Amino acid sequence: MKNILIAGVGGQGNILLSRVICQLYMNRGCNVKTAENIGMSQRGGSVVSFVRIGDSFGPIIPDGQADILIGLEMYEALRNVSKVNANSIIVLNKRYIKPRAASIEEKEILNYLKIHFNHIYYFDAYHIAIDLGAPKAENIAMLALACKNLLLPFSKDEILTALSELLPKGIFDMNKILVEKIYEKY
Amino acid sequence: MKKVLMGNEAVAYSLYINGVNVAVGYPGTPSTEVIETLKNFSDDHFYVEWSVNEKVALEIAAGASLAGARSVVTMKQVGLNVAADPLLSLSIIGIEGGMIVFVADDPGPHSSQTEQDTRNFARFCNLPVFDPSSPKEAFSLVKEAYEVSEKYKLPVIFRMTTRVCHSNETLEFEFERRKKEVTGFEERPQWVILPGLSYIKHVELEEKLTEMKSELGKLNIVEGDGQIGIVTSGVSYFYVKEAIKGFEDLFSILKITVAHPIDDRTILEFCADKKMLIFIEELDPVVEEETKLVLFENRIYIPTYGKRNGYVPYAGELDVDKVKRIIFDITKEEGLLLPRTFIKAPEIPRRQSQLCAGCPHRSSFLIVKSACKGKDVIYTGDIGCYTLGFAKPISATHTCLCMGASVTMAQGLKIIENKKKIVAFIGDSTFFHSGITGLVNAYYNRHNITVCVLDNLTTGMTGFQPHPGVGQKVNGENGQRVEIADLVKGMGIKNVLIIDPYDNFDLCVQKVREFIEKDELSVIIFRHKCANLEKNNYYYRINEKCTNCKACISATGCPAIGEDENKNIFIDQVLCNACGLCTNFCPNMAIEKVVER
Repeated sequence: MKNILIAGVGGQGNILLSRVICQLYMNRGCNVKTAENIGMSQRGGSVVSFVRIGDSFGPIIPDGQADILIGLEMYEALRNVSKVNANSIIVLNKRYIKPRAASIEEKEILNYLKIHFNHIYYFDAYHIAIDLGAPKAENIAMLALACKNLLLPFSKDEILTALSELLPKGIFDMNKILVEKIYEKY
Repeated sequence: MKKVLMGNEAVAYSLYINGVNVAVGYPGTPSTEVIETLKNFSDDHFYVEWSVNEKVALEIAAGASLAGARSVVTMKQVGLNVAADPLLSLSIIGIEGGMIVFVADDPGPHSSQTEQDTRNFARFCNLPVFDPSSPKEAFSLVKEAYEVSEKYKLPVIFRMTTRVCHSNETLEFEFERRKKEVTGFEERPQWVILPGLSYIKHVELEEKLTEMKSELGKLNIVEGDGQIGIVTSGVSYFYVKEAIKGFEDLFSILKITVAHPIDDRTILEFCADKKMLIFIEELDPVVEEETKLVLFENRIYIPTYGKRNGYVPYAGELDVDKVKRIIFDITKEEGLLLPRTFIKAPEIPRRQSQLCAGCPHRSSFLIVKSACKGKDVIYTGDIGCYTLGFAKPISATHTCLCMGASVTMAQGLKIIENKKKIVAFIGDSTFFHSGITGLVNAYYNRHNITVCVLDNLTTGMTGFQPHPGVGQKVNGENGQRVEIADLVKGMGIKNVLIIDPYDNFDLCVQKVREFIEKDELSVIIFRHKCANLEKNNYYYRINEKCTNCKACISATGCPAIGEDENKNIFIDQVLCNACGLCTNFCPNMAIEKVVER
């Protein structure tokens, strides 16, 4: 049983990323379960996806039991730390979409996470996606970066297979180039 | 085939496999994906549509069912209120072909006005209600629901909650359609509801419900043989299973799949050797109350813990951690361990939902506010994306009640606040849903208000469904388009204006002001396609003339404009949808268009 939590802001492709991760595990023969907040929260609000692999119970990950937290946005990653424990892996996109009422700055978020967690990895998926010509694909950039650095157990080919199963042709082609370039360059 | 399916998708697949002939609904989170999935299946004996509202949809499904077809109507919980009138009458006259009323409840609530419990609605309607716990179970229960519906000639309410509708699970199934031959309409006196008949049919209905109890009781699940009984339903069943992990010996679980009519025998058998009962369910204590009634009638006393004595909350959704704490509190002496320690999240403010970058409604709201400057105005709001017009800095929504109420509440306000200007905002899909009857009332009764229809040519909040104003049908085929302006003029309203909120801002303000100053009913249609459906090959950026005055942010609240680490204003080129609204508020001409991304 493995629990993965994805936290971000509406519009970052959080839901699609959870679907791709599901497909990756399903292609390995695992049973998966997910839950997510969609609807009003889609419009620039907080979005959380839970992915549970193996013989899980309900779709929601209990407090402290996420093995991996993928933070597509730093503030939202911080919001969900109660779902992880000190030994969980935190994969963080260095992206800060400042909420109107934000009281915590980027640096403070990083410091807080460093104090409490033993395994934090940062990537600048947002700028990497822009540099590689796919500005809306920071979600898939995060996935490729996490897999390339062995934080998730999937190969480049497995990622491409899962993407081809889920995305329409045109969007898949764009993401394929992105994933390949990430494996070459970063 | 093996697929990861969302609960709603699982229901759609199962409906199709089980021979549904007619599928209708009105979009509403968390119910929308049933029709959205069904629209992708094609078959000569299968019809799917988005109807203008839930009452219309339910009546269409009922009509098809009287002709012997298998039908389904989908909606969210508040949609059932709109469809309540035909549903209660339908429970009296009954149906012919299997009919499922799919209703999605939203404990939390995540994106709804209310937390109402459709299981209670089912008790009120005297109809059976299925309450699946997972996508997998929902998939298999569709078949049972149709069979029960056809056997007892009654619609079956298929109630799911957000965490079942919107969770995904691996499913393995044969994708083969079991075609349902349609018998055709047969004339019967019972199809005409008359008072005398109603009484006779009510008696029959009560008998049917009693009769179906033991059959439906088989769908309930009993697990374990511990002395502490937990009675649960819906997704809470999984929360319970996970919460008692490691202590399974102490407990046994009764999962109620059919919350009404509830099977007495299942309850009596389950309770026979229990030393206490704990009720874990979301929203209303439906299962709790029904169980207690059965125990009382059978003169059985067992200590019970649930909502009625304050152990389980009535409001909000449950999760594993909450359920664990509840069970721990009740059974302290059993030596259960509290959840292991976790890292406490620091208190940080909520991220408020807001209109998307480039949303034409933002411009429409600001045009109206500028046109009303200096006047005493009340803005009534409605259900949809534009509900977000309440957020700062737009602040142009003073009331919001339910679909269509902006138009009608405005009239009530105008009667009392006669000196004030009353402006109602409503979206295009909502206008067709239930805004139009309110507008007829305003015209007929000479209520002097201004109605602003924010027409983005789609149903934005639920994921871009078409509606009569778009003309396109659910499957992309051409329908007949209804032009809102013609409709409004057709009823006799003279002051009707269509404007594009992205035309020259000052000119728009001037036009709107003229309209608002008229001393009679007026309708302004702000028409511009939803930003999510428009593609632009340019965006805006801030140049060196910027003095960091933040006028762009404070006027528009656009989420694409932010402050960087050095407190300099920037426009996020990925988020920017190129509407250019911000340029109207920059005193330094510091926002410039950049062509090509």
